[in-house]
Amino acid sequence: MQKKMAYSFPDEVLEHVFSFIQSDKDRNAVSMVCKSWYDIERWCRRKIFVGNCYAVNPRIVIRRFPEVRSIELKGKPHFADFNLVPDGWGGYVFPWILEMARAYPWLEEIRLKRMVVTDESLELIAKSFKNFKVLVLFSCEGFSTDGLAAIAASCKNLRELDLRDSEVDDLSGHWLSHFPETYTSLVSLNISCLGSDEVSFSALERLVGRCPNLRTLLLNRAVPLDKIANILRRAPQLVEFGTGTYTAELRPDVFSYLAGAFSSCKELRSLSGFWEAVPAYIPAIYSVCSRLTSLNLSFATIQNPDLIKLVSLCPSLQRLLVLDYIEDSGLEALASSCKDLQELRVFPSDPFGVEPNVSLTEQGLVAISWGCPKLESVLYFCRQMSNAALVTIAQNRPNLTRFRLCIIDPKTVDYLTHEPLDVGFGAIVEHCKDLRRLSLSGLLTDRVFDYIGTYAKKLEMLSVAFAGDSDLGLHHVLSGCESLRKLEIRDCPFGDKALLANAAKLETMRSLWMSSCSVSFGACKLLGQKMPRLNVEVIDERGHPDSRPESCPVDKLYIYRSVAGPRVDMPPFVWTKDEDSSLRLS
Amino acid sequence: MCMELQLGLALPSDPLIIPIKMFDLNSCGYEPGEGLGSNTLSRPLLKLGPSDININNSSSSSPSRSGGSRKRGFDEVQRFDENRIFPKTLPLLLSTNQPNDEHDPNGLEDNSSSAIFKNDGEGLVGWPPVKTWRKKLLLQIPKGGAVNNNRVAAMAENGCRGRASNSTYVKVKMEGIAIARKIDLSVHHSFETLTSTLMGLFDISDENWKGFKLTYQDIEGDWLLAEDVPWRTFIRSSKCLKLIRSRG
Repeated sequence: MQKKMAYSFPDEVLEHVFSFIQSDKDRNAVSMVCKSWYDIERWCRRKIFVGNCYAVNPRIVIRRFPEVRSIELKGKPHFADFNLVPDGWGGYVFPWILEMARAYPWLEEIRLKRMVVTDESLELIAKSFKNFKVLVLFSCEGFSTDGLAAIAASCKNLRELDLRDSEVDDLSGHWLSHFPETYTSLVSLNISCLGSDEVSFSALERLVGRCPNLRTLLLNRAVPLDKIANILRRAPQLVEFGTGTYTAELRPDVFSYLAGAFSSCKELRSLSGFWEAVPAYIPAIYSVCSRLTSLNLSFATIQNPDLIKLVSLCPSLQRLLVLDYIEDSGLEALASSCKDLQELRVFPSDPFGVEPNVSLTEQGLVAISWGCPKLESVLYFCRQMSNAALVTIAQNRPNLTRFRLCIIDPKTVDYLTHEPLDVGFGAIVEHCKDLRRLSLSGLLTDRVFDYIGTYAKKLEMLSVAFAGDSDLGLHHVLSGCESLRKLEIRDCPFGDKALLANAAKLETMRSLWMSSCSVSFGACKLLGQKMPRLNVEVIDERGHPDSRPESCPVDKLYIYRSVAGPRVDMPPFVWTKDEDSSLRLS
Repeated sequence: MCMELQLGLALPSDPLIIPIKMFDLNSCGYEPGEGLGSNTLSRPLLKLGPSDININNSSSSSPSRSGGSRKRGFDEVQRFDENRIFPKTLPLLLSTNQPNDEHDPNGLEDNSSSAIFKNDGEGLVGWPPVKTWRKKLLLQIPKGGAVNNNRVAAMAENGCRGRASNSTYVKVKMEGIAIARKIDLSVHHSFETLTSTLMGLFDISDENWKGFKLTYQDIEGDWLLAEDVPWRTFIRSSKCLKLIRSRG
């Protein structure tokens, strides 16, 4: 009976139907219907997403999906962004490139996040994939502009080169000249992370001028203000543009030339860059403000009233990244002019200062919650908060999906009542039923985790620091948050008991990070032994954990599920259950 | 320490039902019926304090290692020295004189929940959670005056990890090797000793050393040849080191 049904649709028809199904989740569901669907689906899957490069290995992926055109890999855990993962921990992409060079000669897209990419890897990409189109290196490191030169020289069909937030050894600006004169297919170029002062402006201008499909161009700080106009005039079709250093002495001719260049870009919807921006040149962008949907001023040194004036001119804004120079008054202005705002990120201009240098408090965020009905994503650094404010925000904005609050001093209390902020965050998780991502801060007891475990049923990622009283807190989260995929914890008094009691939960998650907590090496070994499909990595640079008492807490712990077994590229400071100090290889 | 634990090994398909055999919260004062309306949570189950952890002292801490020297992934100073006095505190509370303090330059002196943490000086590693490159750029913003160069040098830079301004550890990369090492510049007083340390670290012989040049990145972000400057200039301004193969 089953067989008959399978033959009633020829494979080609099913393949065609499946080609309309793009999302990974749906594809995975399709592949589980029956064996023949599994087989058909695996041959026609073109796009793979691997959220943790160590959860699987290249061979397994290639064996199951032989015709992949696009792959996305993520390496280091999120806390690597804040220097919590030691150098040399892992996340090397080379083994993947090596295998894919053999198996996927038609690979078109590689997107990597937090991985170590060497020039060797880039050179291998350049020569192995004839139809290579997209390279995104998000927060990667380990390569230089020499590797980029190889990409530029060989990838004739390259459309997108995006180096956002990566650490690149910038040896020279001449890599840009390696794009041949015949190369015209560039659509998106993001070199904003490059540091070098040397950029070949003529090469850049020529490149921009001969690529008519260029939509996104994010320059680095080396490009001075007076070069922008020429670049814009060669690419009036740009949709997304990032300036270089936006400072110069005010000269009327330079200003008007620049303003004219901006106004000729009718498609421009997103602006960023603005390093060291001076107020005098901000009006040059006024002509595009009414159409802007995204504005990143998080490196701009401008302050109020220039900042307020600017954002007030952008009624279509959906996304704003800004420094806390905007202050409460600026956020109030934003709340009244930008009704389409969906995402707001406010960064600290002086994160290490002891005293506040600007007048930005919880009031600004409260004002936004009143005024912006579409607000769903928040990242907010501030120095004071109250439960009352959080409750108000929660009640105003139940449509929040991402809420990350960083009160700069750890364990800061509600400044009005001097109580912990449990109730405030409790209100957030209770009202915002679709909350997927949450970062906590301030003084928090086990109670907040009780709220989170009870209400945050759609929560996928939780970041915790300096919070909680006992294992009960961790237990609430692990036992209550059904959708939890990533949990990262630092400096909390969570230990063995909650971890071991919820061992099975860990297999349903992508990963768990715990640093400066109270987990013992013994518990880690036990967990690793009992749960073969978890990799339990103890990251400890102080030497073998057995050289300390059994109950001594490990420094850092990274647990993730994997079908690839223990990894083969562990550095000396990563210890697993297989540790036997006498057998430890150098 | 013997932990006879029966782990709750529920089937992954049913994540909610995790039989907690060994860790019965009900027996330890937690009332599941206590709603969120209650103002007080029951006493925390386990308050980890110093009495819960065996604090080891130096005499029993020497490990019996076999197999001679162990090559570390980084700084040799990190190698566990049998003769080193083991700090009489939890490892989380290493004093700032230890080379391991990069994790915690100020030391979380009191790990108990009742301590209100005071953020003095340069703060903790990775806190506030601002990305490395963003921190660097923010610190270069003139705040009503000259840029604080020391902080720029001390804080996160391209490739260098954030650290307290009194720390003298710098990252050393060798061309062609993905893994960087770290060394403490303050123990060196001349290029001679630095050279021999680097040769040992990267396993470079005398002959091979001639094929390398030592470069460093200074406070302003420029890469310079170490041999071009006097030692004092080098020691004061270098933030990162890199060994490159000398061409030709």
